[in-house]
Amino acid sequence: MKIKYAIILVVIVIAVGAGIGLKMFFKPHANINRLKAEYKLDASSLISEFEQDENSATTKYSEKVLEINGELKSKTKMQNGIDLLILEDEMQGISCQLDSSWASANQPIIQSLEIGRSITIKGICKGYLMEIKVSPAIILN
Amino acid sequence: MLVASVGATGQGKFIAKNAYISFYSSTPMEDILGESNEAVTILNTETGEIAFQALMTTFHFKRALMEEHFNENYMESTKFPKAKFNGKIEGYNSSVLSGPVIDIKVAGILMVHGVEKTITISAKLGLEDGKLVGISKFKVTPEDYGIKIPSLVRDKIGKEMEIIVKANYLPFGN
Repeated sequence: MKIKYAIILVVIVIAVGAGIGLKMFFKPHANINRLKAEYKLDASSLISEFEQDENSATTKYSEKVLEINGELKSKTKMQNGIDLLILEDEMQGISCQLDSSWASANQPIIQSLEIGRSITIKGICKGYLMEIKVSPAIILN
Repeated sequence: MLVASVGATGQGKFIAKNAYISFYSSTPMEDILGESNEAVTILNTETGEIAFQALMTTFHFKRALMEEHFNENYMESTKFPKAKFNGKIEGYNSSVLSGPVIDIKVAGILMVHGVEKTITISAKLGLEDGKLVGISKFKVTPEDYGIKIPSLVRDKIGKEMEIIVKANYLPFGN
């Protein structure tokens, strides 16, 4: 009888282990809609933080969820269909690639955006490469 | 910094801000493909120098777990956030910028995971539909760049990873 219980126990442990393993393996990508912003800032102050000390700003903001307010400088659709918004400065500003599922559900919002207006986006900061890269991002207002 | 690495003046430069870079490896379980559309490259049209940089965190994988392993276990993206290539087109002649796409060779230094290696890669450069495009496909061995892959996994994935780069260049500055 003891052996029987031992076998059942082993089977349960394996099943639970496999379950956890599979869950980890199939873990979905972070949903930017549901993530809470860790920092709320103005585009210009974020840019100057990166310009002053790229390394410490990268450590502070990379892979963090940011809510950024700034002036919309350009809006384009890239070849692969992703919407790209640029804030503050066209060459060295903040580049935001919009979350594709959010963007396909919210095309009217994207289309109505006028260049020059102030917008707020929420997205994951990826670091600095001539400009600050934020992706995926969604528009808050 | 990126601008400085291809020479001083703002003249005669082409830039691609949302260049494509992918990293591919095949395994018996499933193929591993990481893609980024956020690489930046600058081409100095006077000297034929090319600079290319990508942020490791911008690589996107099918599974969140692959992305996590890529950044945390293999590339150590917090310590080494960027991969960089600085090179020069061999036998450069500026006529390549206004003609059809041709095969070129670019010799330079590739830095991945904080390790620098001299390499020569084959690429294509020229006009496609009136736009200057640059494409390259080459292979790298992770161990050359001090990237440790656990032996349990090592046998299952190809020794070399295939890198593909595509850039649509636009004139930059004046």
